[in-house]
Amino acid sequence: MAFLLRRLAFYLAAFIAAATVNFFLPRVMPGDPIQIMFGSANANLTVENLNALRLTFGFIDAPIWQQYLTYLQSIFTGDLGRSIRYFPAPVSEILGRATIWTVGLVGIATILAFIVGTGLGIFAAWKRGTRADTAISLLAIFTTAVPAVVISLLALFIFAYQLRWFPSGYAYNPLLDPALSWTYISSVIYHGTLPMVTMFIVLLGGFAITMRNNMINLLGEDYIVMGRAKGLSENRVMFWYAARNALLPTVSNLAIALGTVVGGSLITEVVFNYPGLGNVLYQAILARDYPVIQGQLLIMTAAMLIANFLVDVSYVLLDPRLKKA
Amino acid sequence: MKQLLVGLSKNKKAVIGLSILVIILLVAIFAPLLTPYGASARVGRPHQPPSWEHWFGTTRIGRDVWTQMIYGARTSLAVGFGAGLMITVIGTVLGIIAGYMRGKVDEVINFFTNMILVIPNLPLLLVLAAFIGQASPLVIALILGFTSWAWGVRVTRAQTLSVREKDFVKSAEMLGEPKWRIMTFEIFPNLISIVGINFIGSVIFAVITEATLEFLGLGDPNAVSWGIMLYNAQNASALTVGAWWDMLAPCFALALLGLSLALINFAIDEVANPRLRTGSRLNRWKMLVRTGEGRI
Repeated sequence: MAFLLRRLAFYLAAFIAAATVNFFLPRVMPGDPIQIMFGSANANLTVENLNALRLTFGFIDAPIWQQYLTYLQSIFTGDLGRSIRYFPAPVSEILGRATIWTVGLVGIATILAFIVGTGLGIFAAWKRGTRADTAISLLAIFTTAVPAVVISLLALFIFAYQLRWFPSGYAYNPLLDPALSWTYISSVIYHGTLPMVTMFIVLLGGFAITMRNNMINLLGEDYIVMGRAKGLSENRVMFWYAARNALLPTVSNLAIALGTVVGGSLITEVVFNYPGLGNVLYQAILARDYPVIQGQLLIMTAAMLIANFLVDVSYVLLDPRLKKA
Repeated sequence: MKQLLVGLSKNKKAVIGLSILVIILLVAIFAPLLTPYGASARVGRPHQPPSWEHWFGTTRIGRDVWTQMIYGARTSLAVGFGAGLMITVIGTVLGIIAGYMRGKVDEVINFFTNMILVIPNLPLLLVLAAFIGQASPLVIALILGFTSWAWGVRVTRAQTLSVREKDFVKSAEMLGEPKWRIMTFEIFPNLISIVGINFIGSVIFAVITEATLEFLGLGDPNAVSWGIMLYNAQNASALTVGAWWDMLAPCFALALLGLSLALINFAIDEVANPRLRTGSRLNRWKMLVRTGEGRI
């Protein structure tokens, strides 16, 4: 319990650090911070509107630490300000709508990649030195070293433009209205398949290579030799002795990998014009819509911290030694 | 160090990876000799398909794609190796200090390292780059160098913690050698493979991230680089109008560079960690005999 509380305190500190970056960036840039933050606004930003935005982001007539506290207060009350481009839509609402698509896409792709990748890693380690291992390793090296943007663009070019198997954008047919009907759901699946498969491929290699190398390192341990010497079947040694122990560091890598996952998914969404967080962020970058860009960092950090905390909890459950610590 | 280099020269993955890297490097250095055109000059009609005059076709505003690609290699290599070096130096120094000194110093370094690790990297870089505006390749390299060292600290520190318990470190301490000397001459040489992996990994990361930031429109549109090529091709809707060469050329270049670096990295891991070595049993045994480990 003390362990989890310590972690919670740490995550709170990390979240405040991300907020601090947001707070200081416009203020350390050359020029007027208010002009930087809200300069791209058009005529529909009246004086009252602008004053409300100033208050949210801590641009008040007060010493800097009071401005800082004002900003933290807005964040912790869930007020991320309003989008400049889609004024007066609140940032939290814009991001919230997009999050559903991203969570669906990234969630499924990550879980699939984790299962398949880990399986491939175990298989490659088992058959190490054979052609199967070489093929899996090379595939894994390839998918981890080629930028997500390149893999996405290639998938788009081959499967959407050349073969025309899948559409080249949007989450569903824009002519349809969202409804719980088969037409709508099948359209969502049809549009989501290619970005999801792409994301799956982007993530697969990392999981496979980590698991393979963990496994191979463990295969030299005494208890593995012991298991073999006892005459246990190869299957039992592989899955119940080696894979189980090799999985622990993979799980902790998963938490850190999520950061990269989030990054990679942003790019895939932009390439496939998928209406998730990545695309919202891309549009915000093009329009220099800073409240949205900043809100995005906070949302993604919060998501990372929650994921990390869940991993911590699972660690306590998996590793009995931590219960006492 | 010498052992590592000898091992690498016998590793097939390392040889292939290094050969590709050297070819890219040579192409980048001798770019002016390999093309009659200027990097940013308009030399043809827009979106010409690949031909004898324009090997990889032309862009929408009539630049030669092959020329842009080979000049862009300079940018990618410079940003990759520049930022990679920064990331590695910061990560290694902090990691060794934290792992060797322990106590308060370690706690402080470890706290900040873990904090940076849980803040998602790309969104953070996007916020930074968005406020900077049109970031030139140099600025991108600097941002990457200053924000991405945390992973290196973590692995270096972990390795330092195990090396510092070895007998030769203990005996150097007994002899009263100063701490900086122990860290530089006793511990660092034993971390060389970790540092190498960190360096190549950071180069890959920097190349990928530079291209990504530029693709998203956060780079300097006047720079000549693979990321800006992607950005321009995307803006010109190159795939939609069928000008695939405009988009695929930088994709191919990025994939090739990434692949060569990843092969080298994988090879260092194999050479440094004998358990990861594959190949036939007989070869493995021969290698052990050669290095003296398998002597009966």
